[in-house]
Amino acid sequence: MTEIKKFPIPSAEQENIEESLGLVWHCREKGICEKEAVSSSLEKSVNPLAYGKLIQKGLTQESGSHLDLTARGEELAKGVIRRHRLAERLLSDVLSLDKNAIDPNACQLEHIISMEVTESICTLLGHPVECPHGSSIPPGDCCKREQKQLDPIVVSVDKMSAGDEGKIAYLRLQAHPELHKLLSLGLVPGTIIHLHQTYPTFVLELGETQLAMEEDVARNIYVRKGKK
Amino acid sequence: MSDKNRVSKTIALVGNPNVGKSVIFNHLTGDYMTVSNYPGTTVDVSQGMAWISGESYQVVDTPGVNALIPYSEDEKVTRDLLLKDTPDVVVNVLDAKNLQRALMLTLELIEYRIPMVLALNMMDEALDRGISIDMKRLSALLGVPVVSTVAVTGEGLADLKRAVNQACVPSLQVPLTEDIVRSLNVFRGFWKKDFSAHQAVALALLSGDSSVAFGMQDHLSEGVSLQDVWKEAEKTQAEFVRSPRQLIFNARKALAAETLADIMTVQGKMSFSWLGRVGHWTMNPWPGFFIAGIVLYAVYQFVGVFGAGILVDFFEEDVFGEYLIPAARVFFDSFVPWTFLHDMFVGPYGVISMALTYAFALILPIVTTFFMAFGLLEDSGYLPRLSVMLDRAFRLIGLNGRSIIPLMLGLGCSTMGTVTTRILDTKKEKLIVTILLSLSVPCSAQMAVIFGMTAGLSVKLLLGWLLVVVGTTLFVGWLCSRLLPGARSSFLLEIPPIRLPLLKNVYAKMKARLKWYIWEVVPLFVLGTLILFFLDKLRLLDMIEKMAAPVVQTFLGLPGDATQAFLIGFLRRDYGAAGLFQLQKQGALDLHQVMVSLVLISLFMPCIAQLFMVFKERGWKWTAVIVAFVLTFAIGIAGLVNGVLKLFPGIL
Repeated sequence: MTEIKKFPIPSAEQENIEESLGLVWHCREKGICEKEAVSSSLEKSVNPLAYGKLIQKGLTQESGSHLDLTARGEELAKGVIRRHRLAERLLSDVLSLDKNAIDPNACQLEHIISMEVTESICTLLGHPVECPHGSSIPPGDCCKREQKQLDPIVVSVDKMSAGDEGKIAYLRLQAHPELHKLLSLGLVPGTIIHLHQTYPTFVLELGETQLAMEEDVARNIYVRKGKK
Repeated sequence: MSDKNRVSKTIALVGNPNVGKSVIFNHLTGDYMTVSNYPGTTVDVSQGMAWISGESYQVVDTPGVNALIPYSEDEKVTRDLLLKDTPDVVVNVLDAKNLQRALMLTLELIEYRIPMVLALNMMDEALDRGISIDMKRLSALLGVPVVSTVAVTGEGLADLKRAVNQACVPSLQVPLTEDIVRSLNVFRGFWKKDFSAHQAVALALLSGDSSVAFGMQDHLSEGVSLQDVWKEAEKTQAEFVRSPRQLIFNARKALAAETLADIMTVQGKMSFSWLGRVGHWTMNPWPGFFIAGIVLYAVYQFVGVFGAGILVDFFEEDVFGEYLIPAARVFFDSFVPWTFLHDMFVGPYGVISMALTYAFALILPIVTTFFMAFGLLEDSGYLPRLSVMLDRAFRLIGLNGRSIIPLMLGLGCSTMGTVTTRILDTKKEKLIVTILLSLSVPCSAQMAVIFGMTAGLSVKLLLGWLLVVVGTTLFVGWLCSRLLPGARSSFLLEIPPIRLPLLKNVYAKMKARLKWYIWEVVPLFVLGTLILFFLDKLRLLDMIEKMAAPVVQTFLGLPGDATQAFLIGFLRRDYGAAGLFQLQKQGALDLHQVMVSLVLISLFMPCIAQLFMVFKERGWKWTAVIVAFVLTFAIGIAGLVNGVLKLFPGIL
C-alpha cells in the first residue's frame, strides 16, 4: 500500500517535496484547502516554487478554488505525516527528549526513516493513533495487522494484564470528552499505576486512589510498562 | 445568601469527593446530613448554622469536586456557589493520605481569592500509612491556616473552629507561562476593579469553559458585554498552539508536586491490611459474585425475614391488634358517640385503625431494618464495588455501573434515588434511571408489604413476581436505551477504601432517614385515609369502583374492592400495597389475584413525593410522559400476567 521510499539519503529536492506534501496534509486537517492560503503557507515554510512543483510532479491538482492531493500525492503525504508523528512519539515517550528538541528532530527523521523502521517504531509504541500534540497518525499496514512480535514498550491499559505496573506515558484526551476527568482524578503522565484487575471492569490503583473504568476509557491511557 | 443585609458570615466546605465534608458539616452545625463511604453522597448544597467563637456562621456543605471546571451537575453547583454566592470563608477539606490530588484542587481554589483554611482530614489513615506532613511548612507556603482532623471521631475540630477566625486569602500564586499571563491581563480589563475572582474566571474561560461567565454581567466593566468576553476567549484559544487548558494544568501539577515534595515524607512500607484484601476480593469475579450473593442473602434475611416477618407480626398482631386498636375502640365506643367521628378514627377507613396501623406496624419495622442494613453497606464502601461487578449488566440497558447508586438508594426510597440521578453524566442516563425508579424499582416500604403478602404463600409466587418485575426493568431499560436520544457514558468511578462502619454513625444516619420518613409518610397516610373515608361516606367509592370495573375486574380479574387500594396507591405505592395486604388477610384475594395485584402495584405510579422530584429534576414534559407511560404500561403488564395465569391456571 504505502509507496516504498527511495534510500539511502533523499536529495534536497525530494526533501522539499516531502515537506510540502506534509504541509498540504496539515492544512487540510485544519480545514484549509483554498489555493491562495495553501500556496502562501508553502511559500513561507518551504520555498516560493514549492506550489508549482507539486502540481508539476502530479502530486496535487487545482480544482476550482481548491488545491487537492492526487492519489499519488495523498499516498506520499500520508507516509510523511505518519513518519513525522511517529518520530515525535518516539522522541517524547521513549527517548524523553526535551520538548523543544522534539519538533526539529522529527522533521529530520521523517525524511530518512525507512518503511521497515517506521513499522517497528509503530509496533514498539503500541500502534499509537495520536502524536503528542493530539493530531492523528495515519495508520500503516502494521496497525491493521496489529503486529505484536516486538513487545511494545508503551501500551494502552486495555492491553495490559492484571498485576502489571507502569508509568503513565500519555493520555489521549481528545478521544473522549470525559477523559479530562482522568486528569482531575490524578491520572496524569508520570504517575505510577498498578493494574489491579481487568474484569468485569478495569481497576487501576494510583497511590491511594482506586479507579474503576470501562475498556473504552482504559484504551486511551498509554503506559510505559515497568517490571512485574 | 448574596443579600447584602445578611447577618451571619458564611463558610463553605469544599473538597474532593468522599473526603468527609459532610461529617465536618454535621460536627460544626449539629445538623445531620447523610454521610456515606462513596463519592457523590451530597448532590446539592445544604446549609446549617454554627457558633464559632461567639459568632454565628452559616455553614454550606457542597458536593465533592475533582476540579472547578465542571463535568457534571453537582460539580457545577460547587463552582457556582464559589463564584456567585461568594462565601466569606472556604474550608478546603483534603484527604491527608491523598494529598497530591487534593492539592491540585487547592491550587485551583486559591484563584478565587476567598479567605481559606485547610483541613487535612483522615489524618489517622495517613499516619497508618506512614505519611507525615509538615503542616507549618504547608501553611507558610500557602499563606493560610492548616489544621489536621479526624472528622469521624471529632478529633481536631476544635482547632478547625479556631482556625476559621484566622482564615486569610492565600498568598501563593501558581507560576503560569508568559503567554497565559499576557492573556490574563487582557481579560483583567473586562472586569470591574473589585471583582476578586477575575483570575479564576479568566482561567476557566481559557480552559474552554464558557459556562463560567453566565450570570457574571454585574461584574463586567462599563461598556463590556459577555459576548466580548466569549469572543476574546475564543480568539485567545485559537492563538495558542498547545491548549491553554493543558498549560494551566501543567503549571498546577508542577507546583503541587513541588509542594508535596517539600512537606510530605513517607516512611516504611504499607503493612498488610485485611480490609484492603477484602476490598480487592469484592471486585473480582471470584469471589466477588459469591460475596454479592452472601450480602444480598443477609440483607434479605434481615429485612425480609426479620423485619417484614418477625417484627411486623409482633407490631401488627400483638401491639396494634391486641392492645392499641382494641384500646382505641373502647375509648371511642364509650366517649365518642357520634358515628361519623367514631368511624373517622376506628372505622374501616379510620385514621388509627388504618393509617397509623399501616404506617407504624406494617411499614416502619421494615424500613427501619432496611435503612440499617443499607447504612452499613454505604459506610463500608461496598456499593461502588458492587457497581464494578454489575457494570456489564448495566451496559445492556444503556447505563453504566455508576447507576447502581441511585437505583440502590431508590430501593430505600425512590424519591432519594431520583435526586441522586444528578451524579450521572448524561441526560439519557438520568432519564432512564428516573423512568426505572418511577416504574419498576420498588421502595423499601413497598417491598415491605410485598414481602409480607408473599410470606407464607408459595415460593413460586415470590419468584414469579421477581421475574416479572426484574424482566420488566431490563426490558424497559433496554427499550429506553434504544429509543431515547443521546449516548451512555463510559464507566469511570473512584472506589473508596473498605472501612469498618462506625455503628454510631450508621445509627445517626438511620435515625435521620427514619425521621424524614415518618414526617413524609404519616401525613400522607392520614390524608389518603381521610379521602377514602369521605369517598366511602359519600358513597362515591362504589361509583368509582363501578367506573373502574372494566379495567380492574374484567381486564385484571381483581375484586372490586381492590380499586381503593390502587386509588390510595396514587398517594403512595406502599400504602396501596398495604391496602392489598388487608384485602388478602380478609381472604378476598386468591393466589392468582395476589400475583396480578402485586405486579400492578409494583409497577404502579410513583408516589406524590417522587412525582414532585421527577418534575423538579426532569421538567413537566418528561413527568407527563413518564406518568402516561407508567400507568398504561403497568396496567398492560398486569393484564398480561392475568391472561397468562388464566391460560395456565396450575402455574402457581
